[in-house]
Amino acid sequence: MPSRHVSRCASLLALVVAIATLGAQDITLPAKPDSLKFAVIGDSGTGSSAQYRVAEMLFKARATFPYEFVIMMGDNLYGRETPKDFERKFELPYKPLLDANVKFYASLGNHDEANQRYYKLFNMNGEKYYTFKPRDGVRFFALDSNYMDQAQLDWLEKELAASGSDWKIAFFHHPLYSSGGRHGSDLQLRERLEPMFLKHGVDVVFSGHEHFYERVKPQKAIYYFVSGGAGKLREGDVRPNSELTAKGFDTGYHFMLLELEKDVMHFEAVSDQGKSVDSGSLPRFSDAEKKKLAGL
Amino acid sequence: MKQLPVVLAIGLTLLRVSATSAVQAPEVNPDAQLLLEFKERVDHYLQLRNKADDGAPPLEKTEDVAQIRQAQLTLAERIKAARSGAKQGDIFTPAIASQFKRLVHLPARETGSKEILKEDNPGAITFKVNERYPDKEPLATVPPAVLGSLPKLPEKQDLEYRFVGKHLVLLDTRAHLVVDYVPNAVS
Repeated sequence: MPSRHVSRCASLLALVVAIATLGAQDITLPAKPDSLKFAVIGDSGTGSSAQYRVAEMLFKARATFPYEFVIMMGDNLYGRETPKDFERKFELPYKPLLDANVKFYASLGNHDEANQRYYKLFNMNGEKYYTFKPRDGVRFFALDSNYMDQAQLDWLEKELAASGSDWKIAFFHHPLYSSGGRHGSDLQLRERLEPMFLKHGVDVVFSGHEHFYERVKPQKAIYYFVSGGAGKLREGDVRPNSELTAKGFDTGYHFMLLELEKDVMHFEAVSDQGKSVDSGSLPRFSDAEKKKLAGL
Repeated sequence: MKQLPVVLAIGLTLLRVSATSAVQAPEVNPDAQLLLEFKERVDHYLQLRNKADDGAPPLEKTEDVAQIRQAQLTLAERIKAARSGAKQGDIFTPAIASQFKRLVHLPARETGSKEILKEDNPGAITFKVNERYPDKEPLATVPPAVLGSLPKLPEKQDLEYRFVGKHLVLLDTRAHLVVDYVPNAVS
């Protein structure tokens, strides 16, 4: 009896260890000591078990890939936005990360009230669109794609122009390029933002809104990712045979992990089951290549 | 008899002056006048809101969501009290509403506008002027082409245009209140 008990305990322990390390096993990113590491979640704020599952995997991934912060693609809170909702749809699922001082930088989706900008844990500094520089050589631009008025466009132009040779990473809710059957590419937004991105050499763009993962083939020397499946899923919504898609994943929830070195970005999309669904390394285009590919 | 030429001269001068005035009077562009009137009405609303905001709990950066929520609700209550008789048309008068409909007509038909207006739109939901925007409903994305055609709202004042169904709503995003709306702004 005691030996059977020990054996059962050992099996249970093995299972617990397996679950605990799930999510860490598949991560193939180099995780170099000096690189900038961050994560991406989009359309997360449902309060559903799926959101909690993704959040758990996100936390576990940090054991092998110690990212510093998380950028949010909008729809941070679906439905009501009472203090209870903030707790259930943000503070509780990401509590282990918040406790570990991982910062979250939010952008606004069409389900988000503008006053989320005052919520300190979203690090929006009281603004609907803002920029931050986590370290020298990298700058992020969080935009409000729900309301792209002239004031925001003027602000973006000014900020991009001032950002020099930094990696320039933009993130916002609505994708400029997407193979989504439900929404697809936002052409009007593209018409306004893309020329500015090209002019100032934006390197990478992250969006959500579509409830799946898509790595878009580089468009005019800019890398585009759609990552809107951290709390919502629209199964089978990536249009098959879309010419835009380099890789799509619409059969499960996911989050993304990113690692920036001087001239290369490593990426990995991880499912809520802890499986890698896409990964790779993308070289940063030089200014000359950008101009050539953008036709400038 | 001597007075007649004087009277005639004064009369002729007046006629000349009035003729000159008629020529020199700036032409009034009715569209511009309507937009000016709209701006004045919006400014009046902002004055009222600023007054309502005076002494209210401030909306400031905090980790305490309850504090943000309380500040928003208090401001909303104060505005509602200050505009207790508010109704549709207070800002978008029939003439201004017609002007807005004309302005959005073409941009709303541009490629992409229809899709955006349809996809993110909360649809035919119930909402009221001077009441909180319905809590559970998404905020429709405004197509950039439509936004670019509308009169600019004062910057950094937390007023935005939004669509609810076919109606164009003027939303106070600070208080999350419906200020006014243009009924059936898009077809």
